[in-house]
Amino acid sequence: MLGPDVAWYIAVAAFLFGIGALGVLIRRNTLVVLLSLELMLNGGNLALIALSRQWHNGAGQIFGLTVMAIAASEVCVGLGLVVALNRRNLSLDVDTLSELRG
Amino acid sequence: MTGGSWLCLLAPLAGTILILVGGSWIPRVVAAWIATISVFVAFGGAIWAFLSVHNQQYTGCLNGTCRGELTTAWTWLAAGHFSVPLQLLVDPLSTMMMLIVSGVGGLIVLYSIGYMDGDEEERRYFAYISFFVFSMLLLVEGGNLLMLLVGWGLVGLSSYLLIGFWHERPSAVAAAKKAFVMNAFGDATMALALFIVIAHTNSLSFGVLNVHFSSTQANLIALGLLGGAVAKSAQIPLQTWLPDAMEGPTPVSALIHAATMVTAGVYLIARTSPIFEQARTIELMAAGLGALTLLVAGLIALVQTDIKRVIAYSTMSQIGYMFVGVGVGGYANGMFHLMTHAFFKALLFMTAGLAIHALANEQDIRKMRGLGRVMPFTKWCFLAGALALVGIPPFAGFFSKDPIIASTLNIGWYGYVFYACGIAGAFLTGLYTFRLWFLVFPGEPSPFVREHYHDHNGREGAWTMLVPVGILAVLATIGGWIQFPPHWDPITKWLAPVAPSLADAVPSSTQETVTSIVSVLVGLAGIAVAWAVYSERKIAIPAVPSVRRILENKFYFDWLYDRIFYAPGVWLANVLRREFEEPVVLQTGTDLGETTLAAGGIVRRLQTGLLRTYVLLLAAGAAGVVLAFLIAK
Repeated sequence: MLGPDVAWYIAVAAFLFGIGALGVLIRRNTLVVLLSLELMLNGGNLALIALSRQWHNGAGQIFGLTVMAIAASEVCVGLGLVVALNRRNLSLDVDTLSELRG
Repeated sequence: MTGGSWLCLLAPLAGTILILVGGSWIPRVVAAWIATISVFVAFGGAIWAFLSVHNQQYTGCLNGTCRGELTTAWTWLAAGHFSVPLQLLVDPLSTMMMLIVSGVGGLIVLYSIGYMDGDEEERRYFAYISFFVFSMLLLVEGGNLLMLLVGWGLVGLSSYLLIGFWHERPSAVAAAKKAFVMNAFGDATMALALFIVIAHTNSLSFGVLNVHFSSTQANLIALGLLGGAVAKSAQIPLQTWLPDAMEGPTPVSALIHAATMVTAGVYLIARTSPIFEQARTIELMAAGLGALTLLVAGLIALVQTDIKRVIAYSTMSQIGYMFVGVGVGGYANGMFHLMTHAFFKALLFMTAGLAIHALANEQDIRKMRGLGRVMPFTKWCFLAGALALVGIPPFAGFFSKDPIIASTLNIGWYGYVFYACGIAGAFLTGLYTFRLWFLVFPGEPSPFVREHYHDHNGREGAWTMLVPVGILAVLATIGGWIQFPPHWDPITKWLAPVAPSLADAVPSSTQETVTSIVSVLVGLAGIAVAWAVYSERKIAIPAVPSVRRILENKFYFDWLYDRIFYAPGVWLANVLRREFEEPVVLQTGTDLGETTLAAGGIVRRLQTGLLRTYVLLLAAGAAGVVLAFLIAK
């Protein structure tokens, strides 16, 4: 099999996912939170595709494509929300958007 | 034969539906004529059915139907081996009832056109009244016990609707409720009787009543049916609703509470006579209740001051005679009296209606003196009805009442008691009827009459009111001539295939003659006493305050039922409200709500509204799940 061992791919995927999760947790800007979410999704995608190649099973790649489609839709909605917030001159800080507090 | 019965049954229903669907699209007068014509079409159907039964060749008995025909539309209810078809029975008994109901009914609906003219809700009235005629025809034409019970319930419903027709009067609403509740009691006992019939024979056709029942079963079935008959026909002990039912419009009193519905109990006993003959004790109990009612109602009628209530009590009293007639086994006598009573009692109510209508809805007879001077037509028609009621020859009541009294003589010692009651009742009838007559019609008009009397374009009422009154006055005069036992008895012969009179209930010629003479003399004596007391005032009204009080309180039946049923019911309801509904039912809802709110108050603290908390919890949760799987592995 050409290329590095699958463990490397998984390691890179985990690293991407970790960066993304950290970004979601500690950043307050809505745009950056969305970016971080994309990173997490792509980390997951990378793991799916690497394992698909390892086991010679196409299902992982199909999952990868599906996740990309969903990520695109999610970005549409997320960016739409950001634009809407901006139009109303609301803050983009996620900590101030706490309408749902019980 | 079957065509006539279906036409007769469905024409009034079609009238009801037309009026209801038409609503305010059709003018009031058109609604009135739709109802009238539909009932007269039903009368045409009844004549058709009568002629076909009359011309039918006698071919022996089949399924308990000896003459006539059972027509089945379809199977209505089926459960296992038990099934009830939707069927009509055309036989001598049902055609006789069909003719009375649709004939007298048609005249009364025609009379209503004038009487109800100008009422706010005329259309509703005419829809109800043709619905009543449909229900009553279903009752008398129903081909099995269940159809009969359905008709029985529907006439109760239409009676309720029509008593409460003027729904803005609280007294009318209360009277309607009272009538409905008392009738529902009778319906319930009838339904119980039918359950016993089903349990024993697995069928509800009239034919199964000829089956031999054990004595207990026969007694229970007859008792249940008698309960229904007593409630519907306002006999003691379920009689108190009828006088209150006079709150309805006068034509309703004439049609439902005099001519047709209240006599349904008599029809029921004649129709189910095989079972009553198996339970002879119960049948005699019916006669006993009738005898008691005819006396009690006659006495109460003596002190009533409302013109309609006097006639209502006289109705109860006359139905008492019919119960005596069918109770001792003379079914034809009872049915014949039912027929003549329909004529003269409808006539009396309708003449009373003319008077009430002309006097701006006044019903108090103490204010009406001298009405005959301004309303001569009403006066003579009322006199025909009154003489028929008292049973003076040649008026109708003479021919039908005396055979009933005479038929009690051969059945044993209690027969003599019934006989005495019947004769005493004849005296009371003469007395209260002519008390009404002497107070209302002869003499100079009272100031009240002068002031309030208003005619209708120079006549005593609209022609739609006068014509039916005239026809019924003729019928009340000559309607009894179709039977003069023992020499001339077409009605007894006509009914013999369905409800043959018992041999005990056929009096000898001598008994018949003596009874006729005695009861006519007694009736005349009643009239004479009424004349002396109320017209000439030669005899003062005997002043016995206690008796008067008892009569004015109607023998305290209402008071008693209030104490026994109404007051405990209200007490129980109050206790349950205080002890159960308020602490348990009402409080449970509040408690549930408060508990949920408290629980929510704790859980809501989890909802911080901070996105990052949620994400952290999510991540921690996911990590926990992964860890759990790893450890489990």
